Amino acid sequence: MSQPVLKIRDLSVSYQTEAGPLQALRDVTFAVPAGKIIGIVGESGCGKSTLISTIIRLIAPNARIGKGSILFKGDDLLRMTSAEMRALRGDEISMVFQDPMTSLNPVRPIGRQMADVQHRDALSRREKNARSESMLGRVGIPDPAAQLTRYPHQLSGGMRQRVAIAMALMAEPSLLIADEPTTALDATLEVQIIHRLQELQRDFGCSILFISHHLGVIAELCDEVVVMYAGEVVESGPMRDVFLEPRHPYTRKLLECDPARIAEPTRDLPVIEGSLPNLVQLPDGCIFRERCPKTIERCGLQRPRLAGDGHQASCHLLDTAE
Amino acid sequence: MNTLLAIRDLHVRYPLKTGLSALAGNRPSFVDVVHGVSLDINRGETVAIVGESGSGKTTLAMAVCGLAPVFRGEVRFDGRQLERERNNRLNPDRKRVALMFQDPVGSLSPRMTVRKILAEPFRIHRTGSSSPEQEARRLLSLVGLSEDFGDRYPHQLSGGQARRVGVARALALEPDLLIADEPTAGLDVSIQGEVLNLMSRLQQQMGLGIMIITHNLNVVRHIADRMAIMYLGRFVEQGDAQKIFSRPRHPYTEALLSANPSTDPDAGSGRIELSGEVPSLLRRPAGCEFNTRCPRAGDRCRVSFPGLAGDFGDQAYHCHFPLD
Repeated sequence: MSQPVLKIRDLSVSYQTEAGPLQALRDVTFAVPAGKIIGIVGESGCGKSTLISTIIRLIAPNARIGKGSILFKGDDLLRMTSAEMRALRGDEISMVFQDPMTSLNPVRPIGRQMADVQHRDALSRREKNARSESMLGRVGIPDPAAQLTRYPHQLSGGMRQRVAIAMALMAEPSLLIADEPTTALDATLEVQIIHRLQELQRDFGCSILFISHHLGVIAELCDEVVVMYAGEVVESGPMRDVFLEPRHPYTRKLLECDPARIAEPTRDLPVIEGSLPNLVQLPDGCIFRERCPKTIERCGLQRPRLAGDGHQASCHLLDTAE
Repeated sequence: MNTLLAIRDLHVRYPLKTGLSALAGNRPSFVDVVHGVSLDINRGETVAIVGESGSGKTTLAMAVCGLAPVFRGEVRFDGRQLERERNNRLNPDRKRVALMFQDPVGSLSPRMTVRKILAEPFRIHRTGSSSPEQEARRLLSLVGLSEDFGDRYPHQLSGGQARRVGVARALALEPDLLIADEPTAGLDVSIQGEVLNLMSRLQQQMGLGIMIITHNLNVVRHIADRMAIMYLGRFVEQGDAQKIFSRPRHPYTEALLSANPSTDPDAGSGRIELSGEVPSLLRRPAGCEFNTRCPRAGDRCRVSFPGLAGDFGDQAYHCHFPLD
């Protein structure tokens, strides 16, 4: 297998707060292989957003990167100067955000914005427009030439998100980071966008890091999945393995809670009891212990580490089972 | 049956131009957001309204509450029209219909504490057996929040907690009908279950009729007795939820049901992907509105709008070529 595009090792990030450092990410480790779609799934507060903003180095002023490395094609992003980072963003690494209405400039026509993205290329305005037009066609926008003169508010939500994807792919990046790109869309459009992303990934051969809290979308789209809980990776592995044979109790709970999996209609839907731990005063031992249905003594004493080959999980129960 | 809400041929129309400009030009001067909707909701029943964004779901909810202008048709609540009285005072029946808004934090005033928010309905309607503050405490415990949440401001609440406050406020005056606009949008699956369970429990306790607007079909399958599928301001199909899930008759319903992303990696097959875009409300297609995207559309669909087929109380649809 070739070298992964992105390799994150033992990444820890904390936010300075009045109550003390809030440890938003702790020892996060995973890799994005070349040409694969990796899904990161987790509920709000699990550190998804902190993770992305650390990768593209656009973190909040009160965030501190404690330790770890983020290797992009072998170079550590955390050691780059801001000028080097700027050269990467939008070129080698690009992003699609959750809300296309706020990520597009409302007072500039689509064509102008798409030309702006090509500021690195020594092309004439006409050539840039021609490229924009063909890119819009590739993401499945009807009559692309006419769309170039339109403003974001004149497009529907699904079209706007496709324009955002077209812009992100303009520079043919090696890594596309998509932060909940379908959350603002409806089921039928969601499926359209997911399939379009799959097609584009095949055509361009880029890797995609896809963040979502929607398990169904991840199952539909991704090759591999990383499950996060309260700032830690609790399980990772090939999508089918994780979804069909989840190893971590949190992953299992999460899948149980999905109403799509419950065949008989019920008015008493399963929930995960309890709430997220306080990340300023971390509990001892396993981070999921307080909500876990089957804890053993060791869970309160020692923090489990990710273990396993390919399909990994961090849970003490896996040691005792073997 | 004990019909709580009866909507008949409801139209909501917004003007696009006013004054002299309405007379000039060839653009339409109005847009029909809700275009002839009929629906019954009974006591103790949950009815789900499903459809893509922009299909008019929220506008329908607003019209039922009297927050959007009714252009034609009627909304009867308990047999009486729910409109503003002549002196522009709110109809006293209005407090029997409560609305839970889409954005949980945004629909709570950022400058009021949770206690003040929950006490406000009692102050406005001058009801309640005890003081508004006591009522607020009672409501907090009803939705499973501890008393010290009363002192918090909305920005200090998590999404799930803000939803609970939204539920508490909606139920403050013990309404008969609760309209919940996307009550679980943006919530994590574990919290989604909590909010829905809470609504179901309170429904049993209070005999509420619930109109739930959502595009999450997995949720609908579990909690709805009946459902209606909306497309461009019209119900293309409506009726018993289980019947529609097991045997959709309208092609749009079928596509919508099949588009539901599932966590089962093997479930992806059998999906119907719709081509094309949802047409603009300003350029409503002639004939059946769905003909531009329908895999079954024939010549007739582009000319005449199909009448209602089936049984209105059971399963009814508008389609020239229904599925078997």
